[in-house]
Amino acid sequence: MKKRLIITAVYMLMAISLCCFTAGCSSRPQNTEADSNVKEDDLIVVGFSQVGSESYWRNMNTESMKSVFTKENGYRLIFEDAQQKQTNQITAIRSFIQRDVDYIVLAPVVETGWDTVLSEAREAGIPVIIVDRQVNVSDDSLFRCWVGSDFELEGKLVCMWMSKYFNLKGISPEEIHIADIQGTLGSSAQIGRTNGFNQMSTLYGWDVVDYEEGEFTKSKGKEAMSNILRVHKNVNVVYCENDSEALGAIEVLEASGKKCGSDILNGETMIVSFDGFNKEARECIADGRISCIGECNPDHGPRVESIIRKLEAGEEPEKYQYVTEGIFSNTPEIKSVMISGQERTVTVINDQNK
Amino acid sequence: MKANSKKSFNSNTLLLVITIVLFCVLYVGGCIAYGSKGFTHFQTFLNILITNAGLICVACGMTCVMLTGGIDISVGALIAMDCMMLAVGMEKGIGAVTMVLIVLLVGVVFGVVQGFLVGYLEIQPFIVSMAGMFFCRGMTAVICTDQVSITEKINATFYKWANTKVTIPFGGYVNNKGKYMAPYVRPGVIVAILVLIIIFIMLRYTKFGRSLYAVGGSAQSAAMMGLNVKKIKMGAYMLSSILCSVGGVCYCLNTMAGSVTQALGLEMDAISSAVIGGTLLTGGVGNVIGSFFGVLINGTISSIVKTNGKLASSWPNILTAALLFIFIVIQSIFAAVRARRK
Amino acid sequence: MSTWKKIKSWPLLLPVVALILVMAVNIIHDAATGVNPLSFFSISLRETTTNGTILYGRLIDVINRGSEIAILAIGMTLVVSASAGTDISVGSVMSLCASAMCVTLAGYGVSSTTTLAKPLVIGLLAAILMGIVCGAFNGTLVAHLSIQPMVATLILYSAARAIGLLLCNDLIVYVRNPSFAFIGSFLGPIPTPIVITAICIAIVSVVLKKTALGMYIQSVGINARASRIAGLNSKLLIFLAYTLCGVFASIAGIVASSRITSADSNNIGLYLEMDAILSVALGGNSLGGGKFNLAGSIIGAYTIQAITTTLYALGVSSIQAPVYKAVIVIIIVVIEAPPFKAFLKRHSAAFASKGV
Repeated sequence: MKKRLIITAVYMLMAISLCCFTAGCSSRPQNTEADSNVKEDDLIVVGFSQVGSESYWRNMNTESMKSVFTKENGYRLIFEDAQQKQTNQITAIRSFIQRDVDYIVLAPVVETGWDTVLSEAREAGIPVIIVDRQVNVSDDSLFRCWVGSDFELEGKLVCMWMSKYFNLKGISPEEIHIADIQGTLGSSAQIGRTNGFNQMSTLYGWDVVDYEEGEFTKSKGKEAMSNILRVHKNVNVVYCENDSEALGAIEVLEASGKKCGSDILNGETMIVSFDGFNKEARECIADGRISCIGECNPDHGPRVESIIRKLEAGEEPEKYQYVTEGIFSNTPEIKSVMISGQERTVTVINDQNK
Repeated sequence: MKANSKKSFNSNTLLLVITIVLFCVLYVGGCIAYGSKGFTHFQTFLNILITNAGLICVACGMTCVMLTGGIDISVGALIAMDCMMLAVGMEKGIGAVTMVLIVLLVGVVFGVVQGFLVGYLEIQPFIVSMAGMFFCRGMTAVICTDQVSITEKINATFYKWANTKVTIPFGGYVNNKGKYMAPYVRPGVIVAILVLIIIFIMLRYTKFGRSLYAVGGSAQSAAMMGLNVKKIKMGAYMLSSILCSVGGVCYCLNTMAGSVTQALGLEMDAISSAVIGGTLLTGGVGNVIGSFFGVLINGTISSIVKTNGKLASSWPNILTAALLFIFIVIQSIFAAVRARRK
Repeated sequence: MSTWKKIKSWPLLLPVVALILVMAVNIIHDAATGVNPLSFFSISLRETTTNGTILYGRLIDVINRGSEIAILAIGMTLVVSASAGTDISVGSVMSLCASAMCVTLAGYGVSSTTTLAKPLVIGLLAAILMGIVCGAFNGTLVAHLSIQPMVATLILYSAARAIGLLLCNDLIVYVRNPSFAFIGSFLGPIPTPIVITAICIAIVSVVLKKTALGMYIQSVGINARASRIAGLNSKLLIFLAYTLCGVFASIAGIVASSRITSADSNNIGLYLEMDAILSVALGGNSLGGGKFNLAGSIIGAYTIQAITTTLYALGVSSIQAPVYKAVIVIIIVVIEAPPFKAFLKRHSAAFASKGV
């Protein structure tokens, strides 16, 4: 009996180790083949810790990185998906340090709690580049550069577009009853876009009727929109802080018999939103159900690559770098929006280029 | 009689031996396969400890609960609540030591409530601790929905604890930037190792420790022996929650922040560590040393996947679950064999 | 006295009382905020641009959104009854089934598509097949290897989402096709999920009424050994209960994924296992197995959804809501715990003797 037990156990053990190592080694043979063209030693090794794959935007962001840091460009990318857990990211950075990478790129899942692990990276002499969300650390020198969006500017841009449109159509500010479906409270995108919105709505004198939290998701956006409709019947503009929320809001508005569009004088409800890379949202903008989308550019790869090139050449790149972002709309009348001395173009989305 | 007990002892040590051998096989395998990718550095091993310091404490508590035949799945959420309390409390200006004591106290209270429900009201442990899990997770959000971080400005003492490096004089290496990297651990690891030793001694040599085994082996015969089964069960849950709070402090030292999603799924890691380490789900058999190796195995798997760098990140979850499955099946085979022998 | 006793022994007492309580809270809240107090119950027909004429109202909303929980509650009731344990993997299995379906429909590695790579039926079958496999896996562990149900299902609880992510190549797979979106939208004026739930409930109640399956499952739950001696294959019955639970989880997964026209592995069915277990408990079923009451579970499921909606209306955010649900669970299980009942009996007896 005992013999059989031991034999079973040994078999099990073998099976487990086999499992682990087939998994571990499965991707190796293909690598050696591809590696033969370029010598491993010449490659710059970049460790990229990504938040996860929670949205279409995130997937595009990952793609952008993967398409830039290729062997042909002289890089080897180690990609880590943290599945939206900070501990996974901390572990990932420690393993990057152990693997002796040349650069660490971090898209932090939360803004805080990075002091310890970033100082470990600094002690190992590895420069860290932060993308997308910012990190809140006691010492700014813990990271080299930050690449991302200026969310407040995005918010202002969209509000500028709206005000330009209202002027064009002769709609007075008193007639604007606007509700804000906010993103996940406390996230940088929410804070920036809400701030931009608050400043501009005060400036133009719009009637802000409500703020509701939509957590950047379609389902929560739906709930937020139903709550708004229940209390404020006069809402005619909805400022959604991302596309998923906007799609939810549209569904609720249409289910309650309203029409979404820019013609608010004739009872339509105007939807404005952010991101602009969701196919469904682009279709909505092409058929006019969303009036305007502030672009949130996921194409961080080239920016990060140029920073690394500068660092390799011994130059000091600018610490905070914003990606350039424009506006999507289907209204050809407004060609561009001026903000703080810069002109941002409006890309017209219609059935051809959606 | 004596021979019989010796035999069952053997099959239990066999489980522990399997675990330790499996760990060695995995680790050596990792060193051979990824030696060029820094896996052989002593620090890689220490990193497993640093990352899992909190988990080691939790796994010790989980082992104690599982010895009584129960289970506690509230641990991950309790850690999230601990971290959030630490962060928010310190933000409000309460001292680090006071805050740690408060967190431990909350652990005691939470454990007493859970233990009372399981021990005295005889509600299924799983239901109680699942409610506990949702309660803590929601409570974390009630305390604060944002991510709160502990920076140097908020609490210098705690910040200093977290950034203390305990360097080890040997086993360093020079990295490709020419810097000498001395191996180190964080204070959390030392706390975790202390907890491990204390619980090991407690289970071996104290009356309470041995009565945990007795209750798990058979609650009826334990009651006949004159043990207060209800009280012991309650004690086990209290111990689990206290150790979980200790783990929460270690965890917080690693992340320096409180957020609602922290330690999501940690209960699974703790349970699988204990099971892989040879703790029987039916209770009565188990050892914290085994659970410690269980944690190390989980850590090694995720380390291997991370070092490989080309595998999907969901692999550690799947492999851990697969290991849990295999060990549960081994356990049930052992149980069936034992039952047949009787 | 006798009517009081009759009411007290009515099996649906607990869920119905809970449902009435929730509605009362809604009425009071609406009255307090100055909205028509009966607005919770008002159902109207609305014209929409996309779906034609549809039913509209908060009650419809609750029944619509409660569909997944109700479908899960059917399976969960059977599992609880047969094995005295709960299947905590249902939420994760939902997500895995949704992933399997969307990957089948979109093709591997595709993250967004409007045209289906395979006919819709094949996608649905893939999901249900995945549900059967998961349910059978759980069932084998519980029935044949006699592992505690919650530990056995813990394996899939943690692995299923990860496998789903692997299937989806770590992406969120969007399937934006009207024939697929139909499952989560409207059939005429009625939301399709409601219709699907109604069909599921109808089939199960007919099967339970016309065959002895329900009685078999209950007898296995009350005493597995005795029913085996009586000639029932208790292992097969427990296995069947888990497999059915897997199937219902897959149906719930199909509905949930069609609502958002994508397979979001990390979020579909998150925390739904709690809701499903809660509805079984709220339905007056003992979590210790044995007798079950399907109608109770289903009313329980809608009560849970009503509670969720009400909490949101009261301004409790979705991440804070679990606190209240956890407290409700504890109250229910404490009330049903035998030691507590004994304590009450002793206490009321002492009180009565003092009073006399």
